Amino acid sequence: MWKYIAKRLLSLLPVLLGITLLVFALLHLIPGDPAVVLSGERATPEQVEALRQQLGLDRPLPLQYLAFLEKLIRFDFGTSIISGIPIADEIKNRWPATFELSVAAILVAITLGIPAGIFAAVRKNSWLDNLLMSGSLIGVSLPVYWLGLLLIYLFAVNLQLLPPSGRISVETGFNFKAITNFYVMDALFKFDIATLKDVLAHLILPALTLGTIPLAIIARITRSAMLEVLLQDYIRTAKAKGVPAYLVIFQHALKNALLPISTTIGLQFGNLLGGAILTETIFSWPGIGSWIYEGILARDYPVVQGGVVFVSATFVLINLLVDISYALFDPRIQYK
Amino acid sequence: MNHKRWRFPLLAAVCAFAIILSNCGNPTNNNQSENPTTPAATQQGVLVYGSGGQPVNLEPGNITDGNSIIVQQQIYNRLIEFKPGTTEFQPSLATSWSVSADGKVWTFKLRPGVKFHDGSDFNAEAVKFNVERWWNPQHPNGYRNAGKSYEIWQQLFGGFKGKSESLLQDVVVVDNSTIQFKLKQPFAAFPAAIGSGYFGIASPAAIKKAAASYGTPGSLAVGTGPFIFKEWRTGDRILLEKNPNYWKKGDPKINQLVIRFITDPAARLAQLRAGQIDFTVDLAPDQRKEVESDANLVAIPRPSFNVGYLALNPSYKPLGDAKVRQAIALAINNDQIVQAFWGNLGKHDSHFTPPSLNWAQSSKITEYNYNPQKAKQLLAQAGYPTGFDLELWYMPVSRPYFPTPKPIAEAFAADLSAIGIRVKLNTKDWAAYLSDRRKPPGFQAFMLGWTPDYGDPDSFYYPHFSPAATDDIGNWKNDKVTQLLNLGRATGDKAARAKIYAEVDEILHNEAVRLPIVHSQPLLAKRKNIEGWIPSPLGSESFEQIEKK
Repeated sequence: MWKYIAKRLLSLLPVLLGITLLVFALLHLIPGDPAVVLSGERATPEQVEALRQQLGLDRPLPLQYLAFLEKLIRFDFGTSIISGIPIADEIKNRWPATFELSVAAILVAITLGIPAGIFAAVRKNSWLDNLLMSGSLIGVSLPVYWLGLLLIYLFAVNLQLLPPSGRISVETGFNFKAITNFYVMDALFKFDIATLKDVLAHLILPALTLGTIPLAIIARITRSAMLEVLLQDYIRTAKAKGVPAYLVIFQHALKNALLPISTTIGLQFGNLLGGAILTETIFSWPGIGSWIYEGILARDYPVVQGGVVFVSATFVLINLLVDISYALFDPRIQYK
Repeated sequence: MNHKRWRFPLLAAVCAFAIILSNCGNPTNNNQSENPTTPAATQQGVLVYGSGGQPVNLEPGNITDGNSIIVQQQIYNRLIEFKPGTTEFQPSLATSWSVSADGKVWTFKLRPGVKFHDGSDFNAEAVKFNVERWWNPQHPNGYRNAGKSYEIWQQLFGGFKGKSESLLQDVVVVDNSTIQFKLKQPFAAFPAAIGSGYFGIASPAAIKKAAASYGTPGSLAVGTGPFIFKEWRTGDRILLEKNPNYWKKGDPKINQLVIRFITDPAARLAQLRAGQIDFTVDLAPDQRKEVESDANLVAIPRPSFNVGYLALNPSYKPLGDAKVRQAIALAINNDQIVQAFWGNLGKHDSHFTPPSLNWAQSSKITEYNYNPQKAKQLLAQAGYPTGFDLELWYMPVSRPYFPTPKPIAEAFAADLSAIGIRVKLNTKDWAAYLSDRRKPPGFQAFMLGWTPDYGDPDSFYYPHFSPAATDDIGNWKNDKVTQLLNLGRATGDKAARAKIYAEVDEILHNEAVRLPIVHSQPLLAKRKNIEGWIPSPLGSESFEQIEKK
């Protein structure tokens, strides 16, 4: 087992290296020079050149890449070109917001997706099944940006039920001192129910927006996993013994179907941690996604490089955890 | 199969979820007058501003972006400020200022008894400390080795200390309440430049304390302004509190100011409509309808202080003839284009400077009114009766002066084809666009614009028509214009300067190398109960006068 984990960890290195190379190449191959963008319409060519030297953009690309890599190995992500703030600090400050939103979104996806999938499987080919599955198809294909704005207009502007964006309302936020930057946890620590409600209310719309795609995927996977299990002999045996229907479904069938479902959940969660760029931007959510978006707009190379490398590393680590847990929980899998 | 039995656990789950959902909307019984989730507008005494993005830094003299400047306006004062809604000076930290007869020494009398938010005294030494940081690369508290560049100082005042291009010779503390700037040459726009939003005066004690981190989230930002910096939550908001000892008695009118960062314009407007923010800026022209359809909102155009222009490069042979350039000016139906793309958020006239600088404009200019017949005649006289080919470059990005460059360029092309000019439209990545237009021979014709740094005609003309600034129009040079622009910089008297710039206006009008297309007005919006917000043409203003009714 340990050997397997060590092997998997080692295999991460080339993947991560590939990621750094890809991010670096993509950023530097798109035409346009950040020094020009940074100095804007008014700068003279000399000023642009001076800035280019100052940023080290005048050196050959391979050297720039090696410098970037060498720093990364020492866990030095560099500093933002625009604000001069260390990338590591920025990640530390913003990561909790992204994590909180991802957890909320995956909870939405699980609580709605698994029941929907079970319903669809049990009522295979009924109108309900068709409705749920076509619904999930729509869910996967909805443009996130459009869905987010639609929800804001519906629930925040027209019905005025929920706050349209941000993590906390102005009044509550003014005197709220975050301890861990996980606002839900912070509010719980302080037994501050009013703040907790406020923070949860702010989570709903972005979590729904972000959770839609994983919700649809989880629903579909649950359906097919359940269908497979429901055809097994032991289910027929259980039914024949007169076990109540819901026990058959939830105890016998679901338990065995959960394995592929939990894999999907793990992968989707990894996706969410990095895929929240649009959602975070629409909802002014101060996380990693909106920060990378601003970095791209401003041509802030270190921010985009650091942000993407961090997100990718998180993603492959979660992948690894999913694989390992799979190996632990499924007796049929041999780890070599 | 009996399905009824297993419905119950599921129903229970769904109900639980629904309860959680509905509960969040319930009024809470905390001791605040407002329940945080009903958007019945934000609390009294708390003003919420929706910014288009996060500031880069709260350190004066080291930023140029609007999101930083508007926050700095709340924390710092400059030596001079502007009458609300205009470009006219009024005293701020300096109560009066004067210039020597030769135009080279500016003396500022400072306001006595003013204190920084940290309790330290504001005086001439503090001003010198700030100026030296920006200007002197050797200053111990400039922290240039941490990557600080103070680029804007160099752009406005020629160069840093020790460089021959530096306009500033020395900055001298005469006494506690008098400071002198000694210049190498006269520079009439000096007060306007030193009073621009970049140069807030910060507390020297706070800068020494925070060192290179000054002005970043989690550090300090200490000025003399109406609001005290409390907290900056990265990517989310900045919290400011009323300065109880502000030197303007009775200001600010509100106790707390919150600046939210909302990058997406559609999201900003949604926030405003939901009552989560009180006022906001930089909406797109096509959002005006939505603002006006909401009874709780008021749309406000910011007074124009920019120009969107079409540059015609004389180094391209057909455009070398002024008659051809004038023909193009006559062929473009500017009024219709501005109406179509800006509605009433833009104005076309024949001046390169915006209406707020009309004191420095000529009244003798004959507008190039849309006249394709006359344009054709001029083309024929210049020897192009059947027109010619022209490559016209449009910007790939939206800027305040050209929110939708491509369709506007298409309109130009349609108008020009009517007089026989065959236009090919081109574009390039924004960074390449900016740098390639300067590479000889440059673009034949291109769209660009300008929002200047300070409220003076010099800040429009000098960066576009002085000899060093025309490499994008084939190094076009007009000796008379060069001479007048230098004279304008050296003349102190406003009436005399008005004459000088009016003459520049006339020459440029006939030369037609950069055709003014529009002076646009960025769209701002506020909720109805917000009063006392007078947007400045210069792009940012203090919120000290704003009240919530």
